[in-house]
Amino acid sequence: MARTTSPAEELLYNPCEAEIISVADLTPDEKLFSLRMTDNRPLGHLPGQFVQLSIPGYTEAPISVASSPTRTGFFDLAIRRAGTLTAEMHRKVPGDTVGIRGPFGSSFDLTAFQGKDLLLISGGCGLAPLRSLIQYCQDCRDEFARVAVIYGARNPDALLFKNDLAEWRNSPAFDCSVTVDNVSGGDCFYGSVGLLPALIPPLEVIPKNTIAVVVGPPPMYRAVIEELKKKGMASSRILLSLERQMRCGVGKCGHCTIEHLYCCTDGPVFRLDQVEGVRGAI
Amino acid sequence: MKTVIPDRLQEFFIGFTDEFEVKVPVLTTEGERVFASPFDGPPALSGGALAAKPTAVFFPQQDGVISIGSEGLLHASSAKPLFVAGFTPRDLLCLRFIDRFFAEGYRDDIYFSRRKGALIAAVSGFSGASGGFVPLSGGACDLEFVFDGAVWIVVPYSEPGKRIAARIPDDAADDALAALLEKSGGCVDEDAAIIQAASKLLLNEMVPDRFWDSVAESCIQCTGCNLVCPTCTCFGVQDWRYPDRVERSRMWDSCQLEGFMREASGHNPLGTEGLRTRRRIHHKLAADRTKWGEISCFLCGRCDAACPTGIGIVAVSRMIVERFS
Ligand SMILES: Cc1cc2nc3c(=O)[nH]c(=O)nc-3n(C[C@H](O)[C@H](O)[C@H](O)COP(=O)(O)OP(=O)(O)OC[C@H]3O[C@@H](n4cnc5c(N)ncnc54)[C@H](O)[C@@H]3O)c2cc1C
Ligand code: SF4
Ligand code: SF4
Ligand code: FES
Repeated sequence: MARTTSPAEELLYNPCEAEIISVADLTPDEKLFSLRMTDNRPLGHLPGQFVQLSIPGYTEAPISVASSPTRTGFFDLAIRRAGTLTAEMHRKVPGDTVGIRGPFGSSFDLTAFQGKDLLLISGGCGLAPLRSLIQYCQDCRDEFARVAVIYGARNPDALLFKNDLAEWRNSPAFDCSVTVDNVSGGDCFYGSVGLLPALIPPLEVIPKNTIAVVVGPPPMYRAVIEELKKKGMASSRILLSLERQMRCGVGKCGHCTIEHLYCCTDGPVFRLDQVEGVRGAI
Repeated sequence: MKTVIPDRLQEFFIGFTDEFEVKVPVLTTEGERVFASPFDGPPALSGGALAAKPTAVFFPQQDGVISIGSEGLLHASSAKPLFVAGFTPRDLLCLRFIDRFFAEGYRDDIYFSRRKGALIAAVSGFSGASGGFVPLSGGACDLEFVFDGAVWIVVPYSEPGKRIAARIPDDAADDALAALLEKSGGCVDEDAAIIQAASKLLLNEMVPDRFWDSVAESCIQCTGCNLVCPTCTCFGVQDWRYPDRVERSRMWDSCQLEGFMREASGHNPLGTEGLRTRRRIHHKLAADRTKWGEISCFLCGRCDAACPTGIGIVAVSRMIVERFS
C-alpha cells in the first residue's frame, strides 16, 4: 500500500547527503572521516550528540560527532570497523558521499560547565565523543577553570587521536594524562602504564567546583565512578555517555531502552544521578 | 443513531471505497478473520478481537522507509485515507497509546502518513467470540458498530463519523442502546486489577530475577507475544538491494530475541532469556508506566491467546501477584 506524506511533514528517516572531505587512519581498526553537508549547512550539533550514518545497502549506525561545533565547515566522525556498515565506511575515499540524519540525543550542558574545573575522562573509543567537548574547551578556554583530560587505552597502538593527544599534552590549556593497560617491547610511548582508574587518586579535586565527564566501554564506568566518589564528587556532577544498540536514533525502534529511559533521546549523555538507580544502565 | 442489518454491511462499506481505503474483517478461506477490502467478502464484524494486531494497518509488519535510486531519494506516492472498522474498545485504547507514542518527541511521519485522516470504527455489543458481550467503547473512535443480537446499531461520535452514519437510511430507536450501555456498565474486568497489582510489585522491585529465569524456561522465542501485541512498536531496519535502487524498510522486531539489544561490541544488556522475558513484561507494566504515566497493556487478550507455552502478560501477572504480594 502506498503512503501519503504531505510535503510539509518533516521526513524523519530521510538522510541528508554529506561528502567525505578527508580520511585518516587512527589505528589499524579506526579511521577519522571529515565530512561536510553537501548543501553546506552546518551540522548544528552540540558536544555529546551523535548522528545516524547511513550508507545505502548497509543501513545505518549511530556515530558520535568527534569535532567541536566551534570548528566550522566540516565535522568529524571517528569510526571503528565493527560490522557491515562500518566496514563499508572504511572503504570510502574523499569525494564519496554518505547519508546523515541528526544530530540526535542529549549533549553536555555547556552552560553548567561555565567556570568549573572539568575532568574529562575517557577509555578506548570513548575519546571520540569527548574530543568534541575537548576541542570546545580548547576554543572557548576562558569559559572554564582547570581542564584535565584523562585517557586510557589497551595498548599504545589502540590510542585514538595520537596527534591531538600530543597537542593537548603540550598545551598549557590542559592537564593531559594518558595511560595504557600494557606495553610490549618496541612500543614508543610516553604516558603511564596501568589501568585508567589509577590516574584519579593523585588528582586534586575540589568536588563542589568540579564536573567529571566519563565516556568509555561499560566495564570502565564502575571503577572510575568509584574513584570519583572517593574524591567526594556528587552523582549530579558526574556525566556519562552510554551506548546501546540503536536503529532509529529518535525514540521509536525500542532497541536502546534502559528500563524507562531511551538512550537515543534521553541520552546518550546522562547525569549519574539520572541512571545510577536504573537497572542495567551501568 | 442508525441501524444496519448484517446482510447490508458489505454494500454499506463498499459505498465508501471511492473516498477511502476501507478495511474490514473478512473471513479467509482458512477461516481466519483478517482486515481486507469489503470487495473481498462480507464483513465479519462479529467474532471479537482479530487474531492479528489491528494497529498493523498503521504500523505494518514491513514498511518502506525510503527508496534510494538513481534519481536520489524517492518516497511512496499518496493514497486514499483509511476507513478501518473492527477495533474492539480495548484495541482503541491500544491505538490511542501508540498514537501518543509515535507523535511525542520526534513525530513518526511514516506512521502518520497512514494514520492521518483515518476513520476508525469500533465493534462492540454481542459481537464477541461465540456471541459474547463486548462492552461499548463510549466514544474513543469516529463511530461504533454495536450488535444487539439482531442488527448493528451504528453510533457516530466524531464529525466524520456522523457523515458516514448519515448515509444509512434506517434510524435506530432513541433507547436502542440503553440496555447495552447498562450491561457495559456492569462489566468488571478482574484482569485489570491483576495487571495493576503486578505493575505495583514491579515498580517496587519486588520481583526477583530467579522468577524471570523460571518463567523464561518455558519461552521458545517464537516472538508471537510481541507480534500480536497492538502496543508493541519495536522495529529493525534493513536495506534490500536491487539493480537500480536500494529500498530501506523497517520490520517488527521482538525483545524476546537474543540479538535484540546485542551491540556490535558483543555487549548485550538483555543477554539472558530471563532478562528478555522480564523486559517484555516490565516494559509494559513498569517502564511505560514511569515514562508515559500509564501501563501500556490494555488487556486485548492477544499475547495470552498466542503464547504456546502459557506465559502471556496476564498469566505472568497472575503468577507475580500470587507469589510476591
Ligand atoms: C550513541 C552511540 C555513539 C557511537 N559512536 C561511535 C563512534 O563515534 N565511532 C564508532 O566507531 N562507533 C560508535 N558507536 C558504535 C557503532 O554504532 C557500532 O559499532 C555500529 O552500529 C556497528 O555497525 P555495523 O553495521 O558496522 O555493525 P553490525 O554488527 O553489522 O551491525 C549492524 C546493525 O545491527 C546492530 N547489531 C549489532 N549486533 C547485532 C545483533 N547481534 N543482532 C541484531 N542487530 C545487531 C548494530 O547496532 C547496527 O545497527 C556508537 C554507538 C552509539 C549507540
Ligand atoms: S494483552 Fe498482551 S497483546 Fe494485548 S495489549 Fe496487553 S501485552 Fe499487548
Ligand atoms: S509467545 Fe510465549 S513462547 Fe513465544 S516468545 Fe512470547 S513468551 Fe516466548
Ligand atoms: S535508537 Fe531507536 S528508540 Fe533509541
